[in-house]
Amino acid sequence: MKRKHFALLLLAGCVFIVPKLEAQIRHVEMRVEGMT
Amino acid sequence: MKQHLQRQSGVANVDVSLIDGKVEVTPKEDGQIEPAQLLKATYDSGVSVAELDMTATGKIMKDTSGNLSLQVKPNQSFIITANELSKGLEPLVDSGTVVTVRGQLYKKPAGKQRKAAASAPLKLLILEVKKE
Repeated sequence: MKRKHFALLLLAGCVFIVPKLEAQIRHVEMRVEGMT
Repeated sequence: MKQHLQRQSGVANVDVSLIDGKVEVTPKEDGQIEPAQLLKATYDSGVSVAELDMTATGKIMKDTSGNLSLQVKPNQSFIITANELSKGLEPLVDSGTVVTVRGQLYKKPAGKQRKAAASAPLKLLILEVKKE
């Protein structure tokens, strides 16, 4: 029983981890000329 | 051009729209993309870039000359061109707060300025500070 509770607690912890905003370039957009 | 760009490190996907002349580059989740390399790769493929915008998340820093910069990686940062929106970022300097901004990194200069501007480092003109 204890093992089951521990597994559930672990699962809940994984699900509810708040995603951290990571520093990175997310998107790049270019306007180009002369493309065929 | 699409193949040229997809070969660049850190690039996950490239979408090209022939109709409106737009190229969208999606970086890899954990990769490091280098906008200057994207510009070069595009030019090398025989296409001229009129404008390059990017959306990035990073920390606001200030260098010894008093310039604000957006640090996206410990070894990658962009000097911010001063405007009304950049003034609003001043309180975040060295606070460690992570902010997401959309900005213009390159715009094709007109006429004679073209050569001088081509070799200049890319500066970030903030167009939007995103609320997250």
